[in-house]
Amino acid sequence: MPSKNKVLIIIPALNESAVVGKVVRNVIAAGYSHVVVVDDYSDDRTAEEAREAGATVISPIERLGAWGASQVGLRYAVRKGFRLAVTIDADGQHSAEDIDVLLKDISDRVNVVIGADPSRGSLARKVAWMLLRHLSGLDLSDITSGFRAYDRLAIRRLAAWPATLVEYQDIGILLALQKYGLGISEVPVRMAPREDGISRVFSSWTAVFYYMAHTCLLSVSKRVRKRTGNTAQLETN
Amino acid sequence: MIGYFTGAIGIIVALSIVFLIRKDRLHTSNGLGWIFVGAAFALLGFTPSLFDELGAYLGIKYPPTLAFTLATGAIVLKLLSTDMQHSRILMRQQRLVQRLAILETEIRRIKTSSSLKGLSQNTDQAGKED
Repeated sequence: MPSKNKVLIIIPALNESAVVGKVVRNVIAAGYSHVVVVDDYSDDRTAEEAREAGATVISPIERLGAWGASQVGLRYAVRKGFRLAVTIDADGQHSAEDIDVLLKDISDRVNVVIGADPSRGSLARKVAWMLLRHLSGLDLSDITSGFRAYDRLAIRRLAAWPATLVEYQDIGILLALQKYGLGISEVPVRMAPREDGISRVFSSWTAVFYYMAHTCLLSVSKRVRKRTGNTAQLETN
Repeated sequence: MIGYFTGAIGIIVALSIVFLIRKDRLHTSNGLGWIFVGAAFALLGFTPSLFDELGAYLGIKYPPTLAFTLATGAIVLKLLSTDMQHSRILMRQQRLVQRLAILETEIRRIKTSSSLKGLSQNTDQAGKED
């Protein structure tokens, strides 16, 4: 397994002042000293709590969304020369001890490892995932997990222009990774329930309907029929 | 009569575009499309029989529908083009916001380490003076 010093932990955060400090401290206690929290224009003290806990905080001047904030972290990783990056949620769902588990699976053939817990979520959510898997052709059990490890190639692909303006960090990103011919694997992890119980993405039924319509269209449009390799030069800035 | 009115609209549109470009209120590349719109209005207004002949040639029983169909098609294409342009602008804006945020973080880091260096130098100096 690579040295923990070569790994950047990226935590996109929106209004998570209650728990972000604890999440950062747990990650640092697990041996990962390079932690960046991307404060997605929070209304509370998320940035301050993260900074006090020992993270580097990046604060965009407008809300970018979960993927936009994650991409800031990946662009930072490219800029600083990190070979590996792990995205972890700021709401306390993911355990810092599982970061090792994800990183162990990275290899020449596996560029992205997803920490999967398909048992979480309501029946409605599971039905929705089944539909989206069918439409997109993705053969993964947990398509919405934000707990992922990326190697250098995946970091550069996802930090580049073509991965910008993806609205959600799930199907669109996974389809992009497949399109580039990158290897994706899943490892089972246990995810704790959200500490405050409120989903940032599914905050209302309108948000849920929009997400489903948006993601169904994306799945059908970008469904990957066969893997393609793409060795074109990447522009990351 | 209505033909001359339509033709006059076309000329007014074309002149307005030139005025807006002159005042830097409209990008020239966008203005080109609108000049064509003005020209189309002028053509329709001053040669109304053109659509009648074209409609007959295409087998359209009621030739004015040709004008409406072409106009609707042009509007839809323009709206689509506008949305595509909007997407490109949003993407560029997002990239800029991300880059700015990263650079601000780096500047803050440099300032913090500079002020710490300055503080330790002052402390060393104070030690020497003692």
